Amino acid sequence: MATLTDSRKRELRRELETIVGPDAVLSDPDELLVYESDGLTLFRALADFVVFPTSTEHVSAVVKLANRERLPFVARGAGTGLSGGCLPAEGGVVISLMRMNRVLEVDYDNQLAVVEPGLVNLHLSWKVGPRGYYYAPDPSSQQACTIGGNIANNSGGPHTLKYGVTTNHVLGLQVVMPDGEIVWLGGRTRDAQGYDLAGVFVGSEGTFGIATKIVVRILKKPQAVKTVLAVFDQIDRASAAVSAVIARGLVPAAMEMIDHLTIQAVEDAFNCGYPRDADAALLIELDGLAVGMEGQLERIVEACRDAGARETRTAKSESERQLLWKGRKSAFGAYGRVSPAYMVMDGVIPRTKLPYVLSRVNEIVAAHGLRVGNVFHAGDGNLHPNILYDPRKPGEEERVVAAGAEIMKVCAEVGGSISGEHGIGLEKSDFMPFIFSAADLTLMQRLKNAFNPTGLCNPGKIFPTKKSCVEVGPVAYRPHAIEEKGLAQRF
Amino acid sequence: MPGALREKLSAAVGPANVLTGIELSPYVVEGRTPDAAVFPGSIDEVAAVVGLAANEGVPVTPWGGGAAASVGMPAARAGLVLGLRRMSRLLEHEPADLTATVEAGMTMGAFQAALGGRGQWMSLDPADADRATVGGVLATNAFGPRRHLYGAARDLLIGVTVVTADGAVVRGGGKVVKNVAGYDLPKLFVGSYGTLGVIVEATVKLRPLPDHEQLQAVRFERLKDTGVAVKAIMGSDLIPSAIELLDAAAASSAGLAADTPAGGAVLVVGFDGPREQVAWQCAELARILVPLGGQQTRTLEAEAWSRLAAAPGTARPATAAVMTFSVVPSLVAETMDRGAGIARARGLHSAWAAHAGVGAVRAVLASDAAPHEPAAIATVLGEWREMARAGGGHATLAWAPLAVKSRIPVWDDPGAAGRIMQRIKSQLDPGNILNPGRFIAGI
Repeated sequence: MATLTDSRKRELRRELETIVGPDAVLSDPDELLVYESDGLTLFRALADFVVFPTSTEHVSAVVKLANRERLPFVARGAGTGLSGGCLPAEGGVVISLMRMNRVLEVDYDNQLAVVEPGLVNLHLSWKVGPRGYYYAPDPSSQQACTIGGNIANNSGGPHTLKYGVTTNHVLGLQVVMPDGEIVWLGGRTRDAQGYDLAGVFVGSEGTFGIATKIVVRILKKPQAVKTVLAVFDQIDRASAAVSAVIARGLVPAAMEMIDHLTIQAVEDAFNCGYPRDADAALLIELDGLAVGMEGQLERIVEACRDAGARETRTAKSESERQLLWKGRKSAFGAYGRVSPAYMVMDGVIPRTKLPYVLSRVNEIVAAHGLRVGNVFHAGDGNLHPNILYDPRKPGEEERVVAAGAEIMKVCAEVGGSISGEHGIGLEKSDFMPFIFSAADLTLMQRLKNAFNPTGLCNPGKIFPTKKSCVEVGPVAYRPHAIEEKGLAQRF
Repeated sequence: MPGALREKLSAAVGPANVLTGIELSPYVVEGRTPDAAVFPGSIDEVAAVVGLAANEGVPVTPWGGGAAASVGMPAARAGLVLGLRRMSRLLEHEPADLTATVEAGMTMGAFQAALGGRGQWMSLDPADADRATVGGVLATNAFGPRRHLYGAARDLLIGVTVVTADGAVVRGGGKVVKNVAGYDLPKLFVGSYGTLGVIVEATVKLRPLPDHEQLQAVRFERLKDTGVAVKAIMGSDLIPSAIELLDAAAASSAGLAADTPAGGAVLVVGFDGPREQVAWQCAELARILVPLGGQQTRTLEAEAWSRLAAAPGTARPATAAVMTFSVVPSLVAETMDRGAGIARARGLHSAWAAHAGVGAVRAVLASDAAPHEPAAIATVLGEWREMARAGGGHATLAWAPLAVKSRIPVWDDPGAAGRIMQRIKSQLDPGNILNPGRFIAGI
């Protein structure tokens, strides 16, 4: 890709300003720095421009300009992604959607909302909450991450065990295609005509175009919620309890695992009341009708006890429930207190393989002379090993990356996947062959060609490729801006 | 079909698994006879058959149980029927993982029976379960009443193996319930009507069988009053597994409430879960519906589920066409009421049923005149389609004689999205051999 001359840059800046307005274009390198990475600070890449459109037409005009100039472009939400997916890997234009953050319409009769992509996930639930509704996908960064970003990554969260991930809640999308054309994929009805283009678009990591209006389902809040913490002296027993609950025909809303190291860190930092000597704890939440809830809770407690739980604690009030969840949700902040840095992994395995894979994860990390804390969506088999390290120690970050690759291989070997919710982005593109054949990748490339034939829309992502244009290597860990503000957790 | 191709097909799958001549009668669609019907016994054999057809430019029609064989335009050129009936095994079922992997040719009925033996099910209940295959149900996005709570094929399919038009074997998704690695290929193949690849294996999410299940039928004097009733249910604390709405004609043909007055309707609501939750919900349902005009609440037998899935059915001897609609839930009752009026105004009968909570409506159009006058039939169908479009929905002609299909398109105009669909088709099937001309946007 050719580098823009300063004079050409100034001309393009003026053109972009005529589209989005003079206060909506950044091109000063100092200002661009904020956009050089996402939540995965390992990767950095500078754009030539960042623009802040406020309408679909703005986005379309910017995309058309980028096409004319053969400049790559990438959409960006809050930048909380964890795979480098929104990095301007080959320079060009970052299209920030943070000023398109309105709830355009709520249709309670049809239980749907039409929103702009820059809307913060949690703000939708705030908007519809007073009428007894909520938006179900709840990534742990939901206080900061945007619905548009959730679309790109098909984001999950703790409650996806029962309610599904983003794609299960999206009805339709207005999309600016990679050539600038404005198209609706799906709509307000449950079924679209022809191919499920909205379904294909969700999770395409910004490589199929830019969603500018999004129709999502909103759900009625459950009548009742019960939360229980099951405490185990051996993590294998906690893993067995996950399968035992499922085997008894119960589908909790959430089933989260917190391991010993994480409990220690959380208790040191926040004192949430988890037993420090436990090897692992399961945080299980049931929701639904108030009638019969106690009976279901008893069955869950029984399943945990039978699997070897030494103790179960049921939250008796909303404040007790919030405290139990705080232990789970504040794990990242807590790691920050026991280690100078940590890197979060994301892999998925069949639930029944949990004991084997957790022991393999511990072995792998130990063999690299590192420590790992596990806090994850156990009910879905979605692992999040967090490898603790010190970036100032020479070679340690490389060992983290090497251990991460080995962990992904183990996930692949047991029939799992290399990402459950963080996406492939730049981070894992070279791991794709762990789970996909050349024929699989060829079909995906053809699908990409149908949407994005020039490849200008978010280049360099998902597919195995040389990371030539991106700085990779030992760079000191820096918390993302939103973490520093305490606004969000990482997963 | 060239004799050489027939010999190669016989060599690929065995001569006993290549049908020609009179043996093809079960595979005649709209009076058109395929060149041959081929029944491979493995993924490699499917790949070999598709590869041979691709070399000769011979069209391929994937065929499960034939339950949806007449949906869409018939193939423009004769070709091969590729039958999946020999690939009908349950390959893996790990109850603790709530997943199963199955060959595409297994019938839904056999699949559910195998899963049910271990206390689980695939939460999808389309009609014709003893005939429809897993692959066919996925390819046609078929569903039934319980979609209301449990979603459609797109929500359940987590991994898919397909043979593409070039004879390659491609796997998308995986075997785990949560997975964002690569593009979501399962979504691409659900509802693609065999135009992008032949589905040969599927991995799906399962659910535990509920402890208890109950269907409540409530009668309404006027169909138009049921819109408010459906809205009240959806806005309540109830968690129904199904909300079915049938007009008097559909209720009668489904044998559900023969005494429903003309212009009236039956609302059937399903609940499942622990017995005390089901009981509480049934009581709450009556409390909500009685003030809204609901009458004569009664409990239906379990076998009513399959009749609801098939309603309003095509059994009426005078059936002239079947149309399916996708509309927003709040317009379901109005769509049914107005649609019946449109048919009456043209001297035709209709019967309407809906999975009301998800806005999926089905209508059967019938006339006393025999033979049917295709132009009059097409006129009503066109007005129905306009009605759906006006409400932001769309309509598909699910069944009609060719004389009607030639007057009104089977598929509605998908607008600008149609061009993307065409690009996908030409990327994945550049030789246009998979079900050519059958699907939307000329695909």
